[in-house]
Amino acid sequence: MPDALRSEAPKTQSFTLNFGPQHPAAHGVLRLILEMDGEVVERADPHIGLLHRGTEKLIEYKTYLQAIPYFDRLDYVSPMPQEHAFALAVEKLLELEIPIRAKYIRVLFSEITRILNHLLNITTMAIDVGAITPLLWGFEEREILMGFYERVSGARMHAAYFRPGGVQKDLPAGLAEDIMAFANRFPKVIDDLEGLLTENRIFKQRTVNIGAMNAEQALDWGFTGPMLRASNVAWDLRRAQPYEVYDQMDFLVPVGKNGDCYDRYLVRIEEMRQSVRIIKQCLQQMPEGLVKVKNYKITTPPRAEMKTSMEALIHHFKLYTEGYHVPKGETYTAVEAPKGEFGVYLVSDGSNRPYRCKIRPPSFAFLQAFDLMSKGHMLADVPSIIGSLDIVFGEIDR
Amino acid sequence: MPNRKLEDLGSLIAEEIGMDILSWSIAYNELMMTVERSSIQRVLTYLRDSESLQFAQLIDVCGVDYLGREPRFDVVYHLLSLVYNQRIRLKVEVEEGMPVPSVTSVYSSANWWEREAFDLYGIPFDDHPDLRRILTDYGFEGHPLRKDFPLTGYVEVRYDEEQKRVVYEPVKLPQAFRTFDFESPWEGMEFAVQTLKPKDNQSIKESS
Amino acid sequence: MGVKKPFLTEEALNAGYVIEAIPEGINPDILLETLSQEVSQRGFIVTQLDKVAAWAQSGSLWPMTFGLACCAIEMMQTAASRYDLDRFGVVFRGSPRQADLMIVAGTLTNKMAGPLRKVYDQMAEPRYVISMGSCANGGGYYHYSYSVTRGCDRIVPVDVYVPGCPPTAEALLYGILQLQRKILREKHFSRC
Repeated sequence: MPDALRSEAPKTQSFTLNFGPQHPAAHGVLRLILEMDGEVVERADPHIGLLHRGTEKLIEYKTYLQAIPYFDRLDYVSPMPQEHAFALAVEKLLELEIPIRAKYIRVLFSEITRILNHLLNITTMAIDVGAITPLLWGFEEREILMGFYERVSGARMHAAYFRPGGVQKDLPAGLAEDIMAFANRFPKVIDDLEGLLTENRIFKQRTVNIGAMNAEQALDWGFTGPMLRASNVAWDLRRAQPYEVYDQMDFLVPVGKNGDCYDRYLVRIEEMRQSVRIIKQCLQQMPEGLVKVKNYKITTPPRAEMKTSMEALIHHFKLYTEGYHVPKGETYTAVEAPKGEFGVYLVSDGSNRPYRCKIRPPSFAFLQAFDLMSKGHMLADVPSIIGSLDIVFGEIDR
Repeated sequence: MPNRKLEDLGSLIAEEIGMDILSWSIAYNELMMTVERSSIQRVLTYLRDSESLQFAQLIDVCGVDYLGREPRFDVVYHLLSLVYNQRIRLKVEVEEGMPVPSVTSVYSSANWWEREAFDLYGIPFDDHPDLRRILTDYGFEGHPLRKDFPLTGYVEVRYDEEQKRVVYEPVKLPQAFRTFDFESPWEGMEFAVQTLKPKDNQSIKESS
Repeated sequence: MGVKKPFLTEEALNAGYVIEAIPEGINPDILLETLSQEVSQRGFIVTQLDKVAAWAQSGSLWPMTFGLACCAIEMMQTAASRYDLDRFGVVFRGSPRQADLMIVAGTLTNKMAGPLRKVYDQMAEPRYVISMGSCANGGGYYHYSYSVTRGCDRIVPVDVYVPGCPPTAEALLYGILQLQRKILREKHFSRC
């Protein structure tokens, strides 16, 4: 090398760091290959597929009723909205109108799930950033909500409760009062959590102006849900394309300004408050009535009837073995899941099994843009950004 | 802004770029258009930039396998217009091995969606910045969501004590996947015979 | 003639016990043999040492965070305020080097099997594995899928299987307590 060049700055090479699949802050199985220039991230390449379980292929081999539990296990921190999207897609193809009480119950549990999801997301983001207490407070509330899940469906997490035709069972006695008591008590808990984090200097330093995306970028990269709203785009499927009884609910939709991690956190906190409002309205407005369509070709007859009536027994048998046939057609149905727009593209060929069921997960789009969001930030900002993205690998990898 | 009807949207698009649209239809209150493979980039650019359409978001790109139909695969694009609050579905029909122009230059979010369609169906995309496997295993062979790929796949893993590493072996299921077709025997038999696939219904005793 | 009991005294000699190699004073060989007989016949000291070791290990099982899928959420719920795991001495550590328990929570895919084994190999002995949930037990709901390992026991040896989909937080707690009981039965010093 000639002497003239020797006196220049030493040649550096970027350091490739494997933010491996097993990592406390990786929020599941995320393998991030980070190319670092010292402490600054130059390029981030997420490797996903470490939880690819072949859900879509398995769904093609199951009947519509047997496919419902697969949707629970996609976004496992907020199970019911996924079932909701599938149930709505199948009902669209069947051209089924479900009873009004079922719609109210679905909205009620969708909002309960929104609180479940945001509690987990905010508290785990806080723990990644360094605040441990919110996790302990938030998870006790989650336990109470999972208790509601268990009372209504039998399972704490994967409920298989929303089915095409309505919901599986009516609310048991006393549950509505308990949910109302929870809704009256919960805003105080949100206040406590906010008191720990919102004005906290350390939290703000770690999240303000980190991972910022402006509105154009957010739209280009396919962001939906709180991520899009934090980037100053007022778009909420519950308002724009209302489904169930959302058009009769009175609630506000929070919109952020900068699109950084702090704004996303604030949007989620406010969404929790609005969810409490919706829950109260649902409980006040819920009418009495059926909770599933009385057409026993689609929904199951009650067990008492099944044990006494021959037709009900045959219906029960046919439903649980062959299942119902869905007419030929295709549809794309989306719901406002807590993470964003969760869509199901269902293609039916007229048989009792889905021909193709494509699941459109919201976090897939968020993780794509991770490279753009983390460029120029330091390694310590990577967990903050991942935490604010609200990604769950069950739905990304399916 | 008054809500525009889907039929009007469909006719508007058909007027503007009629030669690229092969057909369009409306079903279940959703607009669906079939597009010529080579002009997908142009169509999407028009849909995104046109003042009266403004489909700002690409929601989803996926593949569908219609085994037995010519052309075999469908690449389906879902778009969303926030300003007009409308959705549209575009389909491109491709043969096996025929590449589709990538739309990453139009919508950045198409990047991973196309990688996934390539990984699961084997549909190649031209001019894609980074076309490699995304969901399946690193050395995976085959395209899993194709209809002729068996459900249980070809290989499975196990830890080998002698080699002290994880090895890949051919699949040996102690109990095969049982496909019960509960179709009525008067109606269902042909359907069952058509959909019976190799390897899915074989247990280790039969296949060896 | 009866039980061979090595005594180091003259009286024992005269009493007629059959003793091997009796020298003057304390011979290191005799000492060695005393100790080995203690161990092989599970003498008192060794048994108590075993108990102390087992109590120490089971009382402070430190798991490593290996949450893969939905069961990880239930694992977090077990570690959180209601079914507090910290009161059992169970503190979650991020690094495999500092952990002695791995709870495989969630579906193990073929792509993840390699890293799982790597992480297991990095743990120091004695190490235990709890397989949580039906996916980790035997493939579970995704057993017939092309990309799922049918049970994490194909990759790592498992001590306790916790069934459920997902197992409730209480069930996982019960599984951890079962593992503690299993450890209490272990014998490190007295081998029999």
